[in-house]
Amino acid sequence: MHIEVQHAPAYAIAIAHLDAGESVVAEGGAMVSMDSHMKLSTSAGGEGDGVLGGLMKGLKRMVAGESFFQNRFVAEGAAGHITFAPTLQGDIAVHELSQGTLIIQSSSFLCSGTGIELDARWGGARSFFGGEGLIMLKATGTGPVAFNSFGGIKEIPVVGDFVVDTGHIVAFEDSLEFNIDSFGSSGGFNLKSFFLGGEGLVCHFKGSGRLWIQTRNTQGFGTLLGRQLPPRQS
Amino acid sequence: MQHEIKAKPDFACLTLSMDRGDQVVCESGAMVGMTTGLELETNMKGGLKGALKRALGGESLFMNTYTASENGQRLDLAPATPGDVEHLLLRGNTVLVQSGSYMASSTGVEVDAKWAGARGFFGGEGLFMLRCSGEGDLWISSYGAIHTVDVQGSYIVDTGHIVAFQDSLTYNVKSVGGLKSLLFSSEGLVCEFSGSGRLWLQTRGSMPLVTFLHPFRSVQPQKHAE
Repeated sequence: MHIEVQHAPAYAIAIAHLDAGESVVAEGGAMVSMDSHMKLSTSAGGEGDGVLGGLMKGLKRMVAGESFFQNRFVAEGAAGHITFAPTLQGDIAVHELSQGTLIIQSSSFLCSGTGIELDARWGGARSFFGGEGLIMLKATGTGPVAFNSFGGIKEIPVVGDFVVDTGHIVAFEDSLEFNIDSFGSSGGFNLKSFFLGGEGLVCHFKGSGRLWIQTRNTQGFGTLLGRQLPPRQS
Repeated sequence: MQHEIKAKPDFACLTLSMDRGDQVVCESGAMVGMTTGLELETNMKGGLKGALKRALGGESLFMNTYTASENGQRLDLAPATPGDVEHLLLRGNTVLVQSGSYMASSTGVEVDAKWAGARGFFGGEGLFMLRCSGEGDLWISSYGAIHTVDVQGSYIVDTGHIVAFQDSLTYNVKSVGGLKSLLFSSEGLVCEFSGSGRLWLQTRGSMPLVTFLHPFRSVQPQKHAE
């Protein structure tokens, strides 16, 4: 399977080219177009998980704020392609995993190949205070993984320490350790910066590995426009 | 009349160079800038019946016609949303355009509203199409980039991403996958195209953006009965 990105960076789409019998797992609602012999199956688990295994995986995803069900498209009988797009304006990056693990901010996941196992990762109690949906998906295995950003994607090779606003994290290699901190707490907790600095919570990465960040923040965009829209009924 | 499309695909803008007698019809509100040797006429193209049909299709009742009264005129047009603009040359063939994606056309192009039928209606994403036929230039716009697909055989597209297609393609609105997929896949309805012809898609949909923004609106306090 090969994933191609077109129309980058503002309105990027991912085109997954599948051989006969290959399949791709994708975020619900992401499908734009496909050859008509691509067959969709919606289930809680992956291939060979059984009923109970599937149920457990689905529940775990739900706890992590993802959908209980997962969409899998199979190229039945012949090679074919399928096109996926994210919801908002932004770019797509494709990362080839080889017996590796990538941690992806759950709303940034777009699609992944057959050999990739997806698992919701509990970010830990501290993530709760992130307030910006710091719920992670763990992608493990061999094959391509496509993830999307709001705005552009920047790849940062972290060596040592690096601090990122929680709303700007897209994905990172699991060789990096992370901690959620309030901004400016490295020199002792600073009450004034925390409440008045507007920076909220940050993610402190340590170690060495690649990190992908997005150049805009969905929460910031939604809050700005939401304030200017008329109130909703419910 | 010559044309140039700039700032593709994110914020595309169409510039027309017009000489005396050249005419262009465009969606009301599309004009960004113009020289002063252009005359504007606003009318209900196709008469009241045609205009009402267009209004049903989510288009404006009125269309603007710009006519150059002198040589060397310039007209700049832009769509309402961020996104792309594409030029299509019609030579007696017919293209069906998603109603919100029609931007402008030269006078040899006939624009007629076409109700895509009940199945299209239930798509919930406004599968009203404008039938553009004749000879001349047609400009279409999208939310996001325009992605072109040459269909041979059959091809499936999410209804929210259709911009335009040649009428050599037949289509059928359906759900994708089985019952479980219909209920839980979030994929909604799709359009299955058959035959051979060109299809233009947009790489984003405006509905998903609206759905994303909805939870950010404040909640109106409930009014209690006295």
